[in-house]
Amino acid sequence: MEKIKIILDINGLPQEVEISSNDTLLEVLRDQLDLTGSKESCGEGACGSCTIHMDGKPVRSCLTLALEAEGTKIKTVEGLADGDRLTDLQQSFIDHGAVQCGFCTPGMLMSADALLKDNPKPDKARIKKALAGNICRCTGYTKIIQAVAHAGNPRNDCPDCQHQNKQKE
Amino acid sequence: MSEYSLIGKRMPRVDSRAKVMGKAKFTADLKLPGLLVGKVKRSPYAHARILSIDTSKAASLPGVKAVVTGDDTEGIKWGVFGYTRDQQFIQTEKVRYIGDEVAGVAAVDEETALKALDLIQVEYEELPAVYEPMEAMASETERIHEDFPNNINIHVNIDTGNVDENFEKAYYIREDTFTAPEESYFQAEPYTVVANFDHEDCLEVWCPNGGPHMKSKPLSNAFKIPLHKVKIKKISIGGAFGGRSEICPADYICALLAKKTNKPVRIQFTREENTIGTRQGHAMITTHKTGVDKEGRVLARETTCYMDGGAYSSTGPIATSVPFLSMEQVYRMDSVRYNGYRIYTNKPIRGMIRTHGRGFAAGLDTQLDMIADHLGIDPIEIRLRNVRKPGEYTSTKSLVGSCAMDETIHTAVKRSGWKEKYGQLPPFHGIGIGTNSVQTGFPMGIRGGSQSFIKFNEDGEAFVMSGVVDNGQGNDNMLVQIAAEELGLLPEDIHLVSADTETTSSDPGSYSQVSTFVGGQAVQIAAKKCRKKLFDVAAKILKVEPETLNAENRMIFVKDNPEKSVSIKKAVRVSLLNFTSVNAEGGYWPKVDMKREWVKNPYGQMCEAFSFGTTIVEVKVDPETGQVEVLNATACQDVGKALNPLVLEGQFEGSVAMGGQGGMLTEYHDWKDGRCLNSTMLDYKLPLACDMPDIHCDIVESIEPKGPYGAKEAGMSIAMSAAQAYAGAVCNAIGVYMDSFPLTPDKIIAAIKEKQSCSEK
Repeated sequence: MEKIKIILDINGLPQEVEISSNDTLLEVLRDQLDLTGSKESCGEGACGSCTIHMDGKPVRSCLTLALEAEGTKIKTVEGLADGDRLTDLQQSFIDHGAVQCGFCTPGMLMSADALLKDNPKPDKARIKKALAGNICRCTGYTKIIQAVAHAGNPRNDCPDCQHQNKQKE
Repeated sequence: MSEYSLIGKRMPRVDSRAKVMGKAKFTADLKLPGLLVGKVKRSPYAHARILSIDTSKAASLPGVKAVVTGDDTEGIKWGVFGYTRDQQFIQTEKVRYIGDEVAGVAAVDEETALKALDLIQVEYEELPAVYEPMEAMASETERIHEDFPNNINIHVNIDTGNVDENFEKAYYIREDTFTAPEESYFQAEPYTVVANFDHEDCLEVWCPNGGPHMKSKPLSNAFKIPLHKVKIKKISIGGAFGGRSEICPADYICALLAKKTNKPVRIQFTREENTIGTRQGHAMITTHKTGVDKEGRVLARETTCYMDGGAYSSTGPIATSVPFLSMEQVYRMDSVRYNGYRIYTNKPIRGMIRTHGRGFAAGLDTQLDMIADHLGIDPIEIRLRNVRKPGEYTSTKSLVGSCAMDETIHTAVKRSGWKEKYGQLPPFHGIGIGTNSVQTGFPMGIRGGSQSFIKFNEDGEAFVMSGVVDNGQGNDNMLVQIAAEELGLLPEDIHLVSADTETTSSDPGSYSQVSTFVGGQAVQIAAKKCRKKLFDVAAKILKVEPETLNAENRMIFVKDNPEKSVSIKKAVRVSLLNFTSVNAEGGYWPKVDMKREWVKNPYGQMCEAFSFGTTIVEVKVDPETGQVEVLNATACQDVGKALNPLVLEGQFEGSVAMGGQGGMLTEYHDWKDGRCLNSTMLDYKLPLACDMPDIHCDIVESIEPKGPYGAKEAGMSIAMSAAQAYAGAVCNAIGVYMDSFPLTPDKIIAAIKEKQSCSEK
């Protein structure tokens, strides 16, 4: 198949890639740009493991053609932290034990990050709805929901918010 | 104040930082120079004889680097036990299920590899196939495996004696049959393997596994190369739940392709392949006949279970036994007879799964509720009269040490408000309880023990080496936590080298719930030896007796006078200057009855500890749609000692999701002529965030004397009891005792309608 050269804006950097018209964004991210944080679990848009941001909105990169990403701003899990400095959401996932096997974590973080940008203090029902497209087989979701609710909003009554509280001090 | 600095604390996991940054590498993320794409050619028939395989067209396709068939193999058959070796990694004579491996290809890219698969021409002679265990046993057509009459793969018979006599003494006897179809693991990570032969002709393999040493041995057998030539490497693993314990034929096919091409090869399963080409949970038909006295105490029980094992043995003898074992551990029975049959069918292979025997267990507790109902006894009371007490022996003669079964029931009853709710909820609301017990390990012969090595660096930090693997449950953190606790270091001072067959010693693997008990204990023993060496040096420096010392926060200090101290770094350096290493090894082997064997002799000490769990669930059923809304769940387990409550709660919550929410409400496979109709995530209904109830976790600590810090199995008693509690709650809500699981809306509506029509009559 004929290859096309395009420039993608990934995590704030321009990246020139040579793609086929049927390459998915996930394939280009993982295979060409070595951004393997985004995962393929189902390959059919059911599980959310490949969720990335396109112009700030969470999208499934396994169902998005790389061509569609041209001219948009793409952010992947690798673009969340500022160098070694984690976002409140990432730290909250660690502190609340929201990560078990970690395979769904990147997609889960991207969905939750988009939610928090929209609504910094979402209630539990809103969080559950925002994460309904991300399947986690390990956690039963309880700690993920808690981590999202407490990200940037540490609670005094939560034993697992201590680390965030300390950072704020 | 706690006597420990880290044990018992809510410690965030050491592996989670890399995971939230997208840095953690899983097998599919690996890139090696010259990496080829491997694919497996699978059988389209459920049962057929292979007449010929022509690979010439595929091999000559540009971009194809190798094609392998059974002719390229040493012809060795795989089986977990000597008497279950029935599976070739690539079939040569027959295929036995839709998906059975017949060939493999390696090519420069996926597109070429897929084209090559289509060009492999296999001529088959189709044979009559059997898809259900009862049908398979009665079948007079060609057996699936020649040596197994009636397609019976495994028969486990346990009889404690006096069963018939005790049935005669019983005041009330019930016999009920319960069924549940197959379920699947649906690990987040689809199965992927990368294989490479290095410059010394050593086979390197990266893949999800439930124990690296359980992968290296069959590969060494299959290639007829020594164990030291097989290096299973550590890599992040995206979940296992029992489904990644054994060798996978793709491991071998990938390695064979790597050998033939002299290049690294990756085989990455599609989601459909992950479902049909790895393992599944067994479908089961279970009949429990239970005789009780007037007070509801079980005098006699006879259980017969037919398990659909699929095409090959897998962990058959274990799988046929475990549902019974969980029953005999949690419930006392004066006498019991068990006949478990694992039947070959022309369906994918079945192995162990986290809630292995969901229909068996949920049936048992449903029947207990029926008996309680008949006798006018409260469901809690009948359980309290029958559950295990510490110091007793199970029916098959395992001594039960620590056991706080009663306490888990009392705690869960109180937390859930059972007494205020049971029998007093509005129509179509219900509450149910499940109680279960899981073994901390199986007798595993020479693979039963784990060994650890610890070596100190001159900067006072340490390497900890252990064969324990982390499938996602937090084993890496557990090992670091134990080592840091014993050595007086901070978690960041420990570098863990684990789950690698080149650098770590044999270990039973993580699939028998034994990682903390055996592997963690080995690290604890090694760390204690290192600490003793450090204390001997520090005692000389501080001019005190070693017994007066303690270590914490990188310092060794006098307990009564913490100011008097020396850094661990200094102690290490002084030791080295005095010609003494600060390394140590530790090993732990559980004292089980080595004569116990799953089929030939299923009696004797099974393992050193058992966990006990209670789950209570409250539900609301919509009688129009049959939909179940779960209002809340209470999970309470006796874990011996909670090493890390943060991680433990995660296990409880995940167990409720898989065992209860998915296992009892939505998860099952649909079939047509041996073909799985719902193998993908769109079709198989996994619990989502919006489905889950609030879960209350209560931890009970009985302090197991043989476990590290008192710990034993943690989490699986919840997965099993959650299945039972979900079933109980739905039955309670609709006023019908259900015998077919999971409890999907169609079954619920049918049961409600039937009840209504009966009451109208």
